[in-house]
Amino acid sequence: MFSFKLGLKNLTRQKRRNALIILVIAFAFFGYLFMGSVMDGMEEMSFDNIKNYDTGNIQVAHPEYWEDRDKLPLENLIYLNQDMEESIKNMDGVLGVSPELRFKANLNNGIDEIAVMGLGISIEQYNEVFATKNYVVEGSMFAPGESKAVIGVSLAELMDLKVNDYITLLVRTKEDTFNTIDVEIAGLLRAPNPMINNGIVFVPLDIAQQALNVGNGVSLLALKTVSGDEDTIAKALTGSFKNKDMDLKAYSWKESAETIIALSTAKKSGAAVIMSVVLLIGMLGIINNVILSALERTEEIGMMKALGMREWEIVFVFMVEATGIGVLGGLAGCLIGYAGVSWLVKYGWGLGYIGGDGSEYGIPILDRIYGTWNYSAFSFIFILGVVVALLSSILPAYWAAKKDPVKAIYHR
Amino acid sequence: MALLELNKVKKIYQQGKIKVPALRGVDLEIEEGEFATIFGPSGSGKTTLLNMIGCLDTPTEGEIRLNDKKVSDLSKKALAMIRRYNIGFVFQSYNLIPVLTAYENVEFAIRLTDHTSESQMKEKVLKMLAEVGLKGLESRRPNELSGGEKQRVAIARALVKEPKLILADEPTANLDSETAAGVVDIMRKMNKELNTTFIFSTHDPMVMKYANRYINLKDGMITADERRG
Repeated sequence: MFSFKLGLKNLTRQKRRNALIILVIAFAFFGYLFMGSVMDGMEEMSFDNIKNYDTGNIQVAHPEYWEDRDKLPLENLIYLNQDMEESIKNMDGVLGVSPELRFKANLNNGIDEIAVMGLGISIEQYNEVFATKNYVVEGSMFAPGESKAVIGVSLAELMDLKVNDYITLLVRTKEDTFNTIDVEIAGLLRAPNPMINNGIVFVPLDIAQQALNVGNGVSLLALKTVSGDEDTIAKALTGSFKNKDMDLKAYSWKESAETIIALSTAKKSGAAVIMSVVLLIGMLGIINNVILSALERTEEIGMMKALGMREWEIVFVFMVEATGIGVLGGLAGCLIGYAGVSWLVKYGWGLGYIGGDGSEYGIPILDRIYGTWNYSAFSFIFILGVVVALLSSILPAYWAAKKDPVKAIYHR
Repeated sequence: MALLELNKVKKIYQQGKIKVPALRGVDLEIEEGEFATIFGPSGSGKTTLLNMIGCLDTPTEGEIRLNDKKVSDLSKKALAMIRRYNIGFVFQSYNLIPVLTAYENVEFAIRLTDHTSESQMKEKVLKMLAEVGLKGLESRRPNELSGGEKQRVAIARALVKEPKLILADEPTANLDSETAAGVVDIMRKMNKELNTTFIFSTHDPMVMKYANRYINLKDGMITADERRG
């Protein structure tokens, strides 16, 4: 018990050096907690943005279409019939079905032309699945039966377009002949998913189908389902398609977000590597501190040995001191981390600092990443820090405690 | 029976390829309650001899017995236990722990050996500090004490566990003559009151005069051993 007290009292020695190591550990902890919150927040927002503005919870498509979906083909489309729509709508957990026709197009404003993705939607069904209509900043979504389009504000700025302007979409039909869709802009969008703002033109489904000559074909069906049950519902849907001999498959949003999930995992691994390096610096700081303390207190160690203290008792004194540094560094880090994460959760981290929206980095987030709370990360990093401090001190402390008492006393 | 016996104790240090003899066959017997001084020129082996007696080092040859127990060939762990319960040390540079108060520095030593109640332990420490003339200074840290006061704390630390033997290596070397006399006075007083055996090395004739046994060491050998008073 006295050795414990002595170890704690030793913390008051070399205040500047100890404070420096405590700061290093605190900032390492802060970095871990802050980055963790950013990463988790980014992941959560990315997934929400994918589900709410891009894929829905589940997408139904022909497996062949799914393979080539990035190329926006007009092959392997789903030809809708009432039975199919009804049976999907009536599945447990399905809250809405939105047929979509995705196609390649060139947007022409009369002067310039830019490649975009055309998205033919049935507006009422689309609104049941997606929340995009809440982000119309000018004008409105088109009404059923209207020959109008909706585009993102970024695309509008780029092409110098306003509400009520006319645009031409140059498309190739299923037979590979050119056709055009001439529509008036009904509204401008600024959705949290930057992909929508930058490169999608929403047009009524029937107009798109007519222009592309695909009959009542659609690329896929986007489904809104009970959140969290996507995998089960997708499995049930695929099973039911199989039973009805339909060449369709249901895909959870996670399959569409594979790239984002991989990116997120890679970023987390990167952050873990950075974190390990920072923890290693803290660890080296503690090892260095124990060695310097042992060198400064050589005569004192000699005296302790002369008094008959055993090696492990001397080691214990140094371990208490090093662990104390770890505890103080951990507490300080958790406190700064708490402040940082609180700020991040409340105000978010503007992507303007890194020069643009997340789409430039493959993240479907518009302008601000909000952090998330991960309380287990606080306890994890605190315990890890204390354990690292404790373990780092053992070897140098043994080195100190093994000193020959005569050499230590007389500093030879 | 002697408290301490040394038979033909030799200590040879290896410095690179050269062997340096520090003790060349020392025979010595110390009785309980003696207040002995070891003196001699620098390099005569005083400190080496004290280290051998104090179980801090082991001889190259020869035998050391403490309380009739052979200690010269014990393991490091066993030697640590001998030091813990039987021997007190006073060093030239005090070797107090700067973050502990005078009280805690003394308490530190007794905590290693005494497992009596807190109140008894406290009483013992306070009594010992009072005995060495430090009543009222218990809560001071070493940097708030004079050299003489620090050495008194070191003496109290050595005495508090009531060892049979106290070894002091040049305990007054860092002190002025008046303070040195005060420190040796205290050592002598404790020697008389507690019958604790003191062996100390010194160069100072003024300090030497307090001893009742004079052991002169030269080139690692005892050249004179005289009892007085």
